[in-house]
Order: sequence, then C-alpha cells, then structure tokens
Amino acid sequence: MIEELIGIVPVFATYYLVALGHGFFEKSGVLNLAIDGLFVLGATIAFALAAYTLNPWIGVIGSSIVCSLFGVFIAYVATKLPVSHGALGLSLMFLGYGLSLVVGIPVSNYVYAKALNPSTYTVPATDTVLVVLLASSILIGVVLHYVLDRTKLGAMIKASGEDPHVAEALGVDVVRTRVIAGVIGYALIGLGSAYFTLVWRSGWDPKIYLLGHGWIAFAISLAAGRQPILTMLTASLFAGLVRHQYVVQVALGLSTEIAKMLPFIVALASMTLFYVTPFKRKMASPKSLGKPYYREERTV
Amino acid sequence: MSAFLSNKVFSNISKFSREVKPLVSLRGITKKFPGVVALDNVSLDIYPGEILALLGENGAGKSTLVKILYGLYTPDKGEVIVYGEKTKILSPRHAVSKGIVLVPQTPHLIDSLSVLENLIIGLREYGVFARVDLIEDRVREIALSIGIELDPRKPVATLSYTQKQLVSIIRALLLKARVLLVDEATTLLPSREKEKFYTLFRRFTEGGGSVVLITHKVVEALRVADRIAVLKSGRLVGVIDRDRARVEDVRKLMFGKTVTNNLQVRLKRTEHIDGGKRVLEVMGLWVSRWFGDYVVRGVSLSVRRGEVVGIAGIAGNGQEELVQAIVGLVKPVRGSIRLLGVDVTGKGVELTRKLGLGYIPDIPMRYGVSIDNTIEENIAALLVRGKIIKWRRVNEFTSKLIREYDVKAPHPRVPVKVLSGGNLMKVLVSRELAIARSLLVAHNPTRALDEVSARLVRRMIREKAVGEGVGVLLVSEDLDEVLELSDRILVINSGRIVGVFDANRVERERIEELMVA
Ligand SMILES: Nc1ncnc2c1ncn2[C@@H]1O[C@H](COP(=O)(O)OP(=O)(O)O)[C@@H](O)[C@H]1O
Ligand SMILES: [Mg+2]
Repeated sequence: MIEELIGIVPVFATYYLVALGHGFFEKSGVLNLAIDGLFVLGATIAFALAAYTLNPWIGVIGSSIVCSLFGVFIAYVATKLPVSHGALGLSLMFLGYGLSLVVGIPVSNYVYAKALNPSTYTVPATDTVLVVLLASSILIGVVLHYVLDRTKLGAMIKASGEDPHVAEALGVDVVRTRVIAGVIGYALIGLGSAYFTLVWRSGWDPKIYLLGHGWIAFAISLAAGRQPILTMLTASLFAGLVRHQYVVQVALGLSTEIAKMLPFIVALASMTLFYVTPFKRKMASPKSLGKPYYREERTV
Repeated sequence: MSAFLSNKVFSNISKFSREVKPLVSLRGITKKFPGVVALDNVSLDIYPGEILALLGENGAGKSTLVKILYGLYTPDKGEVIVYGEKTKILSPRHAVSKGIVLVPQTPHLIDSLSVLENLIIGLREYGVFARVDLIEDRVREIALSIGIELDPRKPVATLSYTQKQLVSIIRALLLKARVLLVDEATTLLPSREKEKFYTLFRRFTEGGGSVVLITHKVVEALRVADRIAVLKSGRLVGVIDRDRARVEDVRKLMFGKTVTNNLQVRLKRTEHIDGGKRVLEVMGLWVSRWFGDYVVRGVSLSVRRGEVVGIAGIAGNGQEELVQAIVGLVKPVRGSIRLLGVDVTGKGVELTRKLGLGYIPDIPMRYGVSIDNTIEENIAALLVRGKIIKWRRVNEFTSKLIREYDVKAPHPRVPVKVLSGGNLMKVLVSRELAIARSLLVAHNPTRALDEVSARLVRRMIREKAVGEGVGVLLVSEDLDEVLELSDRILVINSGRIVGVFDANRVERERIEELMVA
C-alpha cells in the first residue's frame, strides 16, 4: 500500500507542477494551448542536458529556463499583437513536438551508442528523493496560492485575466504582468516536464509526443478551476488513475482506448460537478481568457 | 476653429488665468477614429481649485478628451502640458504618477476581485509581492473621511453601483490625485447620492485639486461648476464662467439653435384610453431577490392600449425586479402577469418577446447589447424571427435607424462597443421601439442621453403609444420624465404601489412625498 502510494509521487509531482504552472499563466488571461508541445520539449531538453552532462539537475534547470523563455514569448506576443491565442498556442505546440524529435533522437542515439545506464543521468527514486519531491511540489503549490490570493502580483494577474482594459485603467501593466506570469508558469511547466523524463519514466522515447501528458495536466488544472490547492486534489486523483490505469481498466472491464480517455472523462465530470455547486464563481475561467487585447479599442 | 472663436474662448477665462497657472493644459489636440474626428484641434486649460464642467451632446468627444489625459488614448496631434511641462501621457500608470485620475461612468473595477485588490494594483509604492491587506487601514481611513461604510475585503461584485463609484473616488484619493476626471460618473446615480459626490468634489477643489466634470445636464453643470467648456462634434465651441453662463446660451452652444427649439414641442396624448384593451395585467406580484427578502410586495397594475403608465420612485425600491419579472427575466414568487391576455408568469423572455414586448433595460451594457457585435448584428439578433437573416434588409433598416435617431457611427457594421455611451443607448432604444408591438417596458430610457436625444426618445415613445396603440410601462427615476410622458402615474416605495394619479391632475409635491415616505 505504502509502496503503491510512493510510486505515485513522480507522477503526481509531474502533473501537479505542470498543472500549477499552466493555471497560473492562464489566470493572467493567456490561453495556453501550447502546453502539450512545450511539455514534450521540456521533457526532451531535460533528458538531453542530463544525458550529456550526466547531471539530472542541469537537465531540470535547463528545461525550466527554456520553457520560461517560451512563456515570455507567448505572453508578450499574445498581449502585444492582435493574434489569436489559439493559433499561437497550437503552432507552438507543433513546434515543440518537432523540436523535441530534432533534439531527442540524436541524444537518444548517443545514449545508446555510449550504452549509458539511465541511473547515470536520472534522479534516483530513493525514498528521500521522493519525499523531497513531494514536499517541494506541495510547498510550491502553497506559495502560488499565497501569491494569487494575498499579494499585489496575484491581484495584477487576476485583473489582467478578467479584463485587461480595466486592469490597464487601474494602473496595471498588462504586458509586464502576463510576462511575469508566463515566466513563473512556464518555469514550473519546465520543472514538471523534467521530472517526467528524469524521475517518472527515467528515459526518453520518440513516441513521447503521442502521450498527451501535457493535455492531462491541462485537464487537471481546468478541473480545479486553476486553484493551486484544489489542483493538488485533482492532480492526485489523475496521478492515481494514470499510474494504476491497468488496475482501473481491469476492475471496470474497459478497453485500453476507453481507459486512456478516462482522465479526460473525469475532467469533464469534475468540471460539470464544480459548476453546479456554489464553487462556481471561484472556479470560473478568467473572463478575458484567450481574447486578443487591443489597447485603444473600447469606449463607453 | 476660427481665430475669432478661439479668442472669445480664451478671453472668457477670468478669475483663474490671471492669478494662477493651469495644472494641465491641452494644446491643439486632435484625435481621429476610423470614420470620425473625435477631437478637432482642442485647446483647454484646467486650473487648480476649480470644477470645470465639460458639456456636449452624445458623441461630442468628451470621453475621448479625458481618456487622452488619462493615457488611455494617444492624441494624433497636439500636446499636453502638465504642471508647465510638456508631457506625453503614455498610460494610466503614467497619468496617475502625474496625479491625474479618471472616474468613469461604467466603473473601471474588476468585479471578482476585492476592493483592496482593485486598489493596490495601481499603487506604485508597493512591490509585486506586497500583501494586499497592507493598504486596508488606509482605505478604511479614507472611506471614513468621505463618510461611507464598506468592507474593503469584499469582492466588488457585492457592491451597489453607488458604492462602486465611491470606490473609484477612494482610489483617486488613495492615489493622491490632483486632477480628477469625472466622466459621467454621477449621471446614473440617484439624485440624493449625486449631491454627496458634488460635495466631495467641492472639498477636493478646496484642497487645491481640480475636477473636470463631464455631464450633459446643463442645469446641473451650471449649479456645481466654476467654468463650463462646451464641445460640439469634437470642437471646443466655448468656455464660459459660471457667473456669466445662461442655460439657454449653453444649450445653444451644445446643440445649435434649431434643435433646441424642438425642446419646447408638446407631446401628443392618446384619446379615449379608457376604452382600450388591457395589454398588460399584473396581479398581486411578489418577487424576491436571489435567496433574499421580497423586493416587490404585492404589486398590481395594468396598462391599456396606447397608454403610458409611469412608475415614479427612488432607485432601489423594487423597480428593477418588477421590470425583470414582467419581461420574463426573473420568476416571481407569487402573483400573475398577463400579456395580451396570455399568462406569461415566469415563462421566460422568449414568450414575452413573441407577444411583442420591447424592453429598454436600465443598464444597456449589461442586458441590452452584445458589445463585441456590430450595430447591424445587434439589431438582427432580435428583429429577425425566421432562421435565415436577410442581411440586405437588416442593413437598410439599420441605416434608417442610424439616420432617424442621429446615431453617431460611421456605418452599421461597426461593433457597438466603439460607440459613445449615448449612441449605444440610441441603438438599443431604436431596436426596441421597432420590436414593440404590444408593450414597451422602458427603464430609465433616457438617463444616459443628452437633452436633445432624450427629447427625441421621449417623443418616439409617445408616438409609439399614440400612433400604434402600444402600451408603455415607463419606470424612471427622473420625475420630470414621468410627469411629461405618462397618462397615469404610479408611485412605488419599498416594493409597494403607494399612490395612483391621473397625470393631468397631479401635484408634483404629493408624488415626491410618497416617493420618500
Ligand atoms: N475607441 C474608439 N473607436 C472608434 N470610435 C471611437 C472610439 N472612441 C470614441 N469613438 C468615437 O468618437 C466620437 C466621440 O466619442 P466620445 O468621446 O465617447 O463621445 P462623448 O462626448 O459622448 O463622450 C464618437 O463618434 C465615438 O463613436
Ligand atoms: Mg462619453
């Protein structure tokens, strides 16, 4: 039992951090459809750097840095230019898939040629490591909750997401705020995606872009209304479901295809559930999520 | 602008120019939007210690002017001088740092955030990781000093409109404003509240600040302002000291001569209303607020064909809920509503619309229009009953409405959000008048309109009743409007009808008494 629970930790940490970063960024009003592509890219970069340097922590840091650069780019372009957040996000998603193959395949060949044992470049899943992983993830969640709920930055981010025109009129620099949210959010997405290759899977597989873990994190965040603390709950639930997919599958007598859809079905169900409860207002998406922002547009 | 005119403009500044330097000056400001010149070479000085009223009809460019000062728009030409220094105001942040703060008509506040959160995001002296509640004491102190009670930890969504406007004032004080730009922020307030704001503005100017007060109510402007500046079609056509200003002159500057004459035309009345069929019958209606107390308490009323029934009362006495129940937006708890003899109680908007009900809501931005869609689409949305929209006909119809109502818009395909507030209201009114076949429910239909537009709308409503026999339920806080338009007047107080009068034989004082009793 304990072992089962411990086995979930890397899955949880990956999902939770990615979902946290995603939700934090989206709170600022930028629709983040690039998530799955950049998750894959982050995971790949972490793997590549770790394998070359034989130091997983360089992989973790590198992935965070690269992803936060993308966060800056998305936040800036989506706010400064009248582009569709959807088109921008999906383009970057495919760019992420492509780049991850370009980077990942040579590295994976290198690992093969050198006959590198994953233990030389991944994080050893000792109990201590897992406890630290779990505690640090939860701590990050609590800090984000504090930032969103109690600080000026949180208010600026929420204001930019609700109505950038009004936020600007109230004195918020919407571009700057969204860039900050993008840096922090994507740093966490990078961190989580690094855990994917370096802790959870201990390795890289060219089919990584077909797995859709970024989308699951998206669903996790959505189902929790982008609230850091609630996300802890949904992330645990999904981590359990994914980790024990076969158990669930057998228990419920589902086909593999249906079982793969399970997280998304649960996401839909939990969203629907929240929306009929009094939580609704707390759970609602930012009003201006994904809307292009033209500064001089509105009158009245 | 001719040299003659601008000379006249500046020679009129008397008591301020000689003694003190202006806080802010505009020099030759021009701003164009696609299809309109919103401001045309405007020069204006704002002096410390004065309330400067900025008047003009709907779409004259008043909002554009203050938005330039607040850094929301950048002028195409001209310069802004702040405390003697040429300044390009780049953003609201920048304006605030210069002591210039805007209080707009539709509150610039984020509903889902708390008052404190709304306020702290504009305060530069706090770093991004500062705790929101650091400002709580200061906010409470300021609130107390202007005599209002409110819990600044509560979300803005829980505040009334008046409270939201007061939060904007608190914000200005918190930001240590020296120039307060008030863009119709008092227009929608009940008159008693309005007075409070004027007192606050006076106090503010006594401390050396200045207030630019945008309004289209001439009489009010003359009462509270030190100077009056008038804009017409983007041009500054006059600046007058209050002592020398006469209502008639200001009106002429605002509208031109011919139009103002129309203000005197009397409205027609329907004859033989008594014989007419009842289009609306409300019996013993009780409506409660969301999970709350009753706000409409046993109201019964009827409206006949061709009759205008006015409901007079101070805002917040159940009018909103009564109207929403009749239109079908909220379900009453008890009682019945019949439209054209059909029971429509709690059956929704679709049915009442089908029966020919037109509805002019109190806050058009919230209920009346879809602001991202074009004028044409907003009209088509309700006008077209079939599944297929004949756009050519909609376009012709829209163009006709734009002409008839003098809506200031380049063409029918602009999104309604780029219209000025008054013009937006006109689009809505024209659409609803076109739809109304049995009953028109109008809630404060002219509050956001300048006098001439208001007059036009009142005349259209009256003509609808007289000419087409449509019944009208007019709910208005403006007692003059109720007296002028109605055949019968009901007074509402605390959710009850407390008086019924024939409009031909009624004393204004009696109604006022009942309104506040
Ligand atoms: N952002 C904008 N885009 C397009 N047109 C605008 C915009 N802001 C104002 N206008 C137009 O400029 C004119 C002046 O508007 P405004 O300053 O809002 O008038 P008002 O005097 O009623 O406040 C109007 O015709 C309005 O439609
Ligand atoms: Mg205006």
